[in-house]
Amino acid sequence: MRAGDNSRGAAASRNALSILLCIAGFFYVFPFIWTLAGSLKTPSGFFADGLSVIPGNPQWHNYADAWIKGKFGLYFFNSVFITLCTVSLTILFSSMAGYVLSRTLLPGRKVVITLIVITLFLPRGYTILPVFEIIQHLGLLNTLWAVIVVQVGGGLIFSTFLFMGYMQTLPREVEEAAMMDGASFPRIYWSVIMPLVGPIIATVALFSFIGSWNDFFTPLVFSAGKPELRTLAVGMYAFQGENSRDWTLICAAATITLVPVITVFLFLQRYFIEGVAGAVKG
Amino acid sequence: MARKDPPDTLHASHLRDSVWGYLFLAPMFILTLTFVIYPIFGSVRIAFYNWDGIGNPTQYVGWRHFMGVAKDPWFWGALKHTVIYAAVLVPVQLFLALILALLLNNSRLKGVNFFRALYFMPVVTSGAVVGVVINLLFGNFASGLSAPLIKLGLISTPLDLLGSPSLALGCIIAVGIWHTLGYNLIYFLASLQAVPEELYEAAEVDGASKVQRLVHVTLPSIRPMMVIIVFMAILGSLGQFDLVKTMTDGGPYYASDLVSTYIYSYAFASSHGMSQSNYGLASAASLFMSLMVFGFTMLQLLAIKVSRKERGVS
Repeated sequence: MRAGDNSRGAAASRNALSILLCIAGFFYVFPFIWTLAGSLKTPSGFFADGLSVIPGNPQWHNYADAWIKGKFGLYFFNSVFITLCTVSLTILFSSMAGYVLSRTLLPGRKVVITLIVITLFLPRGYTILPVFEIIQHLGLLNTLWAVIVVQVGGGLIFSTFLFMGYMQTLPREVEEAAMMDGASFPRIYWSVIMPLVGPIIATVALFSFIGSWNDFFTPLVFSAGKPELRTLAVGMYAFQGENSRDWTLICAAATITLVPVITVFLFLQRYFIEGVAGAVKG
Repeated sequence: MARKDPPDTLHASHLRDSVWGYLFLAPMFILTLTFVIYPIFGSVRIAFYNWDGIGNPTQYVGWRHFMGVAKDPWFWGALKHTVIYAAVLVPVQLFLALILALLLNNSRLKGVNFFRALYFMPVVTSGAVVGVVINLLFGNFASGLSAPLIKLGLISTPLDLLGSPSLALGCIIAVGIWHTLGYNLIYFLASLQAVPEELYEAAEVDGASKVQRLVHVTLPSIRPMMVIIVFMAILGSLGQFDLVKTMTDGGPYYASDLVSTYIYSYAFASSHGMSQSNYGLASAASLFMSLMVFGFTMLQLLAIKVSRKERGVS
């Protein structure tokens, strides 16, 4: 135990620190609070209030306007559809691959693992042109599936790596009883292994949920030719360009976009923060 | 060859299971090959052709696009802004995150988890949405930041932070620091928690002050992880797109154009005095950027290796 840490002076300075961190924290998340308040203000109130975070007379119709007139209802469903598909396909494909790579001695397995490690270090992010070309060849241009396959494809390496690492830690005995009973390969994967890897499913689900929901670049590129395919983030960018003076509506749309992801984060923050921390621990 | 323990071939002994194995690998393998590995090489090919994005590129133009990029002052401007962005953001953000992590790394402080979540929150929000909201806050109409300043009589006309060529990039850097600081806070906290308590106790027995403990115990102990944190921050900042696209779109007068927005404007819009997309030029610029990112990745691996050797871990 460190000397002095229990003294009254140390306790007082800790309390002072807590108060300081609270005040700084308020300013840290102020843009979000201000946005929430702005979504309930009248246009003239928004103009006059400046940095105030207390809307006088809450204008709930701003949300209805954003949803219908601003088409954010449509964008919301696009975002939900894309995110749901991306998250489930990422979990399915990467757990399947992780299973084969960690629990079997399939010939060629080592080659695939080496490829995965190399790919983890290849430069990414500036390859959108060939990706665009492939999407065109596949006939997926101007569909939501373009965004989904690009998001899933981009994230599989990392999540396969996570599944592989986690599944390696399971004892070998877990499959043996099922194999004695003559359970098939897919059956063992689905009914024996998958129920045992809940924590890593949660981590992969969280990361791909936040990555997909917040993705701006991919849906921006693939909705350029068809505005009905916009996601919330792209919709906000476009709306601002077309109606830059509809401030309260932009705030309502921002709130619609931010609330799902912040809610999920607040409930599952422990898993998310632990997953992030794992990046430097490993 | 007989192995010591029976081979853990749980399935591979059966041909049918091998087939299942390859089927299970196939989706991951095919999607990664198509959307990650092939595009890296594909962008090399596009850079040598004139291509308008329809059908196959056919007109081979050799190194012309690379020369075009090398001669384009807008590209060098964008590269300069990208370097400034990373060179300012990374040290400032890491310094602030380290201070905050040192304050929060106190088991007796109440509500550490609450503060951690609070300062981490911007990380989980979309850069594009943040950019649009910040536009309202910094906007050049009499609201947000400007309104209280006008009321106080400090300024007479609304500030136009993002419309000013000399301030726009600085504003984006400031928002960038705020937006992803939480990552580094968590990295530093995890590193600090890994420092063995005995080291502190030994330093205390030797009569080390708080500052001495920080300089001689804490910082050397987290140095190996610091290397990883620094490179992750550099690589992350080189990829910045969302904030710039939504806050200024590279403007005003390309004063905040980054390589990422430069590439985008050549590939998908008409900008920089162009009337048509120029995929070849965009690809050549992408390649240049990829090489730079690849160089940093290699440097990172080298730095990690060196710091491991120093610690005597092989």
